[in-house]
Amino acid sequence: MAAATERVFACMGVRDIQIGLAAREFSAREVAEASLARVHALDGATHAYLETTEQLAFKAAARVDAAVAADDLTACGPLAGVPVAFKDNMNLEGAHTTCSSAMLANYVSPFTATCVARTLEAGGIPLGKLNMDEFAFGSSTETSAFGPTRNPWDLARVPGGSSGGSAAAVAAGLATVTLGSDTGGSIRQPGSFCGTVALKPTYGVVSRYGVVAFGSSLDQVGPFTRSVEDAAYALNAIAGRDALDCTSQAVDTDFTANLADGVRGMRIGVVPAFMEAKGLTPEVKAKVEEAAEHLRALGADIVEVELPNAQAAMSAYYVLGPCEAFSNLARFDSVRYGYCDPGHKDLGSQYEASRAKGFGPEACRRIMLGSYLLSAGVYDRYYYPAQQVRTLITQDYASAYEQVDCILAPVAPRTSFAFGEVSDPTDMYLSDMFTISINIAGNGGMSMPVGLGAETQLPVGVQLISPQFKDENMLRVAAALETVYGPAPVAPAFAPGQPYPEGSMVDIPDAADAVPGVDLPGLLTAEGSFGVAHQASSAAQRGLSERLGNAEAAPSQVEKAGE
Amino acid sequence: MRKLEEVLQDWEAVIGLEIHAELTTLDTKMFCGCKLEFGAEPNTHTCPVCLGMPGALPVPNRAAIESIVLAGLATNCDIEKHSMFYRKTYMYPDMSKNYQTTQGPVAFCMRGHLDLDVDGAAAKERIDLEGLEVGESRGNVTRTADGYTAHVGITRIHMEEDAGKMVHIGGGEGRIAGATHSLVDYNRAGTPLTELVTEPDLRTPEEARLFMQKLRQVYLALGISDCSMEEGSMRCDGNVSLRRRGAKEFGVKTELKNMNSFKNLHDGLAYEICRQAEVLEEGGQIFQETRHWDPSKKRTIVMRVKETADDYRLFPDPDLAPYVLTDEWIDSVRAKLPELPDQKAARFEDVFGLSAYDARHLVEHRETADFFEVCMELAGGDAAKLAKPVANLVINDVTAYLNAADGVALADTSLTPARALELVRLQAEDAISSKQAKEVFAAVLDEDKDPAAIVEERGMKQVSDTGAIEAVIDAVLAANPDKVAQYQGGKTGLIGFFVGQCMKEMRGQGNPKLINELLVKKLG
Amino acid sequence: MTQYLTEHDVRGIAEYARIGLSSDEVAQMTTDLNAIIDSLAPITEYNLEGVQPTFHPIGGLSNVMREDVEEPSFTQEIALENAPKRQDGCFLVPSILGEGGDR
Repeated sequence: MAAATERVFACMGVRDIQIGLAAREFSAREVAEASLARVHALDGATHAYLETTEQLAFKAAARVDAAVAADDLTACGPLAGVPVAFKDNMNLEGAHTTCSSAMLANYVSPFTATCVARTLEAGGIPLGKLNMDEFAFGSSTETSAFGPTRNPWDLARVPGGSSGGSAAAVAAGLATVTLGSDTGGSIRQPGSFCGTVALKPTYGVVSRYGVVAFGSSLDQVGPFTRSVEDAAYALNAIAGRDALDCTSQAVDTDFTANLADGVRGMRIGVVPAFMEAKGLTPEVKAKVEEAAEHLRALGADIVEVELPNAQAAMSAYYVLGPCEAFSNLARFDSVRYGYCDPGHKDLGSQYEASRAKGFGPEACRRIMLGSYLLSAGVYDRYYYPAQQVRTLITQDYASAYEQVDCILAPVAPRTSFAFGEVSDPTDMYLSDMFTISINIAGNGGMSMPVGLGAETQLPVGVQLISPQFKDENMLRVAAALETVYGPAPVAPAFAPGQPYPEGSMVDIPDAADAVPGVDLPGLLTAEGSFGVAHQASSAAQRGLSERLGNAEAAPSQVEKAGE
Repeated sequence: MRKLEEVLQDWEAVIGLEIHAELTTLDTKMFCGCKLEFGAEPNTHTCPVCLGMPGALPVPNRAAIESIVLAGLATNCDIEKHSMFYRKTYMYPDMSKNYQTTQGPVAFCMRGHLDLDVDGAAAKERIDLEGLEVGESRGNVTRTADGYTAHVGITRIHMEEDAGKMVHIGGGEGRIAGATHSLVDYNRAGTPLTELVTEPDLRTPEEARLFMQKLRQVYLALGISDCSMEEGSMRCDGNVSLRRRGAKEFGVKTELKNMNSFKNLHDGLAYEICRQAEVLEEGGQIFQETRHWDPSKKRTIVMRVKETADDYRLFPDPDLAPYVLTDEWIDSVRAKLPELPDQKAARFEDVFGLSAYDARHLVEHRETADFFEVCMELAGGDAAKLAKPVANLVINDVTAYLNAADGVALADTSLTPARALELVRLQAEDAISSKQAKEVFAAVLDEDKDPAAIVEERGMKQVSDTGAIEAVIDAVLAANPDKVAQYQGGKTGLIGFFVGQCMKEMRGQGNPKLINELLVKKLG
Repeated sequence: MTQYLTEHDVRGIAEYARIGLSSDEVAQMTTDLNAIIDSLAPITEYNLEGVQPTFHPIGGLSNVMREDVEEPSFTQEIALENAPKRQDGCFLVPSILGEGGDR
C-alpha cells in the first residue's frame, strides 16, 4: 500500500503501470481510486473534466485485477489498468455526452462509441468526460457552455481546442491517455499548446461511430499521451474496421513495431511555403528548424516539398466543415433529446427558441454559414469547388509522398494565447492554418512536443504528417525526436509532489454567463446531481455491460468531479 | 362541375406519378439492424441510428440495394453503375435526423418503362384514339383488338428511407389541422423505401390506376414488398395538369396526395381534372400547390401553396460509401428475377392457347395465376382443352367471389384447384348445365364439398339421353299445338319457350344444348 | 468588403436553420457571416476546369454494406429516456401547423 500511495498513476506511462500491475505492486482498483482522487483534487484548476465516472472506472479496474489474479494481464489488452478519459463528444453508455453545449446538458448516452468501447475493452480505466469547444467549434475551448479549460502550463492561457480538455488532462497528469477528435486541427493544436503527444490518424483508421459528428468527411479520433509509445499503444487499441462505420478501414499495423527503428534513411519533407507563412512566430519557426536539424543529425534526409494548393485548404475547410456541421446539427431539435425551451404552443417557435438558446454563438454561426453555402445557386459557387480543391490538395500530398516518407511542419503559428486575446472568429480560424489541409486530404498528422518556445516559454509542438494509412511513419519520426527531447513532462505546476497549483482561480472573461437564458444542471458544482440515473439495460444496444464482464451490477449513477 | 368524359373531350390531362413502396419483405431497416414490423408498440423498433441519436452512423442494407436493382430490371430501367446517397434536409419531427438519406441526381435505376394494356371500359376514357387501326401507333399508344397499349416512361427509381409515424391529437379525426400536439413513433423511421417517378406519360385516371396496379403486380412477383396500400407500404402521389386538346405547352400542375387505394387514385385524379377544367374554363388560374384527396367528401383540398421551389440543401452523404456496381453483380441480381406478370401471360397464351385478354387478366393477381397453373397441372393431357373454361371460371366466378368476400384469400376458401377442375370437367362433359355449374360453384364454397358429391346429392345429373329427351319434347309439342303452328309460321323466337317447357318438365336436368338441337329438328 | 448577405437574407437563413435570432443578433451575424464568406474567396477564384470533386476522402471506398440481419433494438423506455416530452410511448411535439404550414 505504501508503494501505491507514493505513485501518481495518472502521471505514469502505459508500460510502467502494467509492469507494476503484473508485479502486484499495486492494483487497478488503486489506480482508479488514486487517479479519481487526483482529478477531484486538482481539476478545479484546469477544468479539463466535465464529469467523472467512478462506477465505470471501478468496474473496469475489477476486470483488470481479475486478469492479474489469473496471471493473464495481457488478455485485458494494450491499455490494461491505464487511466483514460474521453472528449465529451464521445458516447459512453450511462454517462453524459454534452459536447460542452447547453443543448445536451442533460443528455445521457444510451450507447457507447466504438473508440470508447475499444479503449475499455483494451483495459483502460475510464476516469470521465473532458471539456471541449462547443460541438468542437473552436480552437481554445472558450466556447464550452460549461466554462473554459485552462492550460496547465499557464492557467491564464487557453489549452487550445477544440479538444482542450483532452490535452490539458494529459498535460496536468490527470490521465495517461485521453481521446480527442480532430476536424481541422482539434487534436494537434491543443497538443501543441499543452505540450503533449497528440495524434490524428488517417481518416478511416479509427471508427467515428458514437462520436458526435462535426464534419463527417473530416472528423477523426486520436489519442493524447505524454510519450510516443503510449500513443502507439492507444492507437493499437482503437484502430481498425468497425461494421458500424462505413468509412472505417481494416488496420493490421502494430504501431509500436518500428518506434525504435530511428530515422536513418528516411526522407522527411519540409514545406517552404509553410515556413514563410505570414503569422508564423519566430519561436515556433525556430523549433521546427531545430527539429529538422536533429532529424538530419539522426540520419534522415531533409527534402523540400511543395504543396502548391495548400493555401486553398483554409477556405475549402470553412466551406466543407460548416456545410457538414449544418446538416449534422439539424437533429438537435428538442424532440428526441436535447434542450427544449418550455412553454411553446407550436413546434416552430419551440424549434427556434430551443436551438437559439441551446447552441452557442459559434455553433449558430457555423450552422447558418453551412445553410447558406448549401442553398440553391450558392452550392455551385462554394461547396462543389471546395470538393474539387480537395482533389487538388490530395494530389499535392500524393506527389509530395513520392519524394518523402513524412512531412515536418508547424502545428500552430504560435504558442498558447491568453483568454479573450483572440476574439474575432476569422482570426481564431487562423490557428488551424497548418493543420487543415491534412484533414482535407485525409492524411495522418500529429503534434510532437519539442520543448518550450524561446520567447514565451510555453510548449511548442511540431507537426509530423504521414501519407494515408502510413501512420507508422510519423510515429517512427516522433519516436526519434523523443530520443532528443525526451517524453513530454507533466506541466510543472501539476508535477507530482507540487502543492495545489497557484493561480488556479484566475478570472476568465465571460465564462460565467456563457449560456444566457438556459438553466444548466449542476454540472459545474454539484456532485451526483444529475436528474437522470441511467440504468445500463441489458437490452440496450451495443451495451458495455457484457464486454466489461460481470464485476458488478450496471453502473447506476454518474458522478461529477467537484470543484 | 362537368363529368370526366365531357372534360376530356376538350382537355388533355397530363399525369405523372410518384410511387413509394416500402421493402417490407426485408428483415431489417435501411441503415440499421432494427426489425421491420408493422403495428409494434411505439418506439420499440428503434436504435441510435433510426432515432438520429448524436454520433450514430448509417450502414446500408445490402438486401435493399438488391431489391431496388431487381425492381429496376423488372421495369426495364438502366442500372446506374455509379451512384451515391445524399442528404435531403427538412426539419420535420417524423424525420429523426432532420434530413432524409436519399439519392441525388443519379439513382440506382434510371430510364425505364412499363407497357399498359388498357381494355374494356378502362379504354373508354381515352377519347383521342379515333381513326387508329389495330397495330397503329400514335404518341405512346398503340391500338389493340380490345383497347390499346400505352408505353409509360419511368424517370427513375431511387432508394431512400421512410419517416416515422405521427398521430395528431386535439384536432378533428386525427387531422393535423387544429391539433394541439402530435405524438411521434419512429418504428417506421428508416424503413427501406423505393420511390418510382414516372414521366408525364399518363393521360387518364384509368391509365394511372392501371400503372399503379401493374407496378404492384411486378413488385409482388419480385417479392420485394407486400404492397399494402391500406397499411401504407405502397403509396402514390400524382401530378396533374391540363392543356387544351392539340396544345403543346404543359399547364400548371398540382400535386395530389392521399390516394391510398386504386379507387381513390382514380377518383382523386378524376376530380382534380374536372376541378382544374372548371377553374380554367371560368378564366381562373391553377396554382402550383399540394392538394389532399378527401374520399369521404369526394374533393381535393389545398394543403400547401408552393411559392418557390423547395430548397433541400441536397449534398452527398459523407457517412456512406459511393456505389460502384459491376456488370457481374448486376447479372447476379438479374439471375434472381422471377417470371414477371407479362412473361407469365405470354406463356399462358403460348402453352395453353389462351387469348391475350384471358391471359392478362389471369396474371393480374398472383394467387389466381398460380391457381390456374395448378389446375392445368392436374388436368394433365386435357390441359389444352380445359384451359379456356378454367380461365373463365377463374377470371369471372372466382374473381367475383373474392371481390365480394372482401379480403379473403383464395387459398383460405374451400375451392381447391382439384375441385375447380372437377367442376369444369363436369360441365365440359355435359354432365351438368352451365346454370347448374354456378349452383355447384356456390355450394362448393358454402359447404366445403367436392362438386361431384354436390351433383350427386342434389340429383343434378344432366340428362343427355336422346330418347328420354325426345319423349319429353313430343309431350310438350303435343300440349302446345297453337305455338307449334306459330313457330312453323315463322315465329322462330318461340324456340326459347319450347326449351323452357322441356327443361321444366325435366326439372332443370335436361341438356339444354341437346334439347335445342332436337327441337329444331322436330319442328323443322 | 463585399456585402454578400443583407440582414434580410440572414433572417431567411436563420428561419430555414430554425434558429430564432433577435435583431441585435441578426446584425452581428450579418457582419460575421460576411467576413467569413469574404475569406472564402480563394475557392471561387480557382481554375477548377476538369477537376473531379472528392466527396469521400478515402479513394476507392465503395459498396460498404451490412447484411439484412436483425440487431437488438432499444426498449421503449430507453428510446424515450432523453425525450424532453413524451406521452403514450411516443415523443410529444406541440402543434405542428401552429407555425403556418405543412411541409
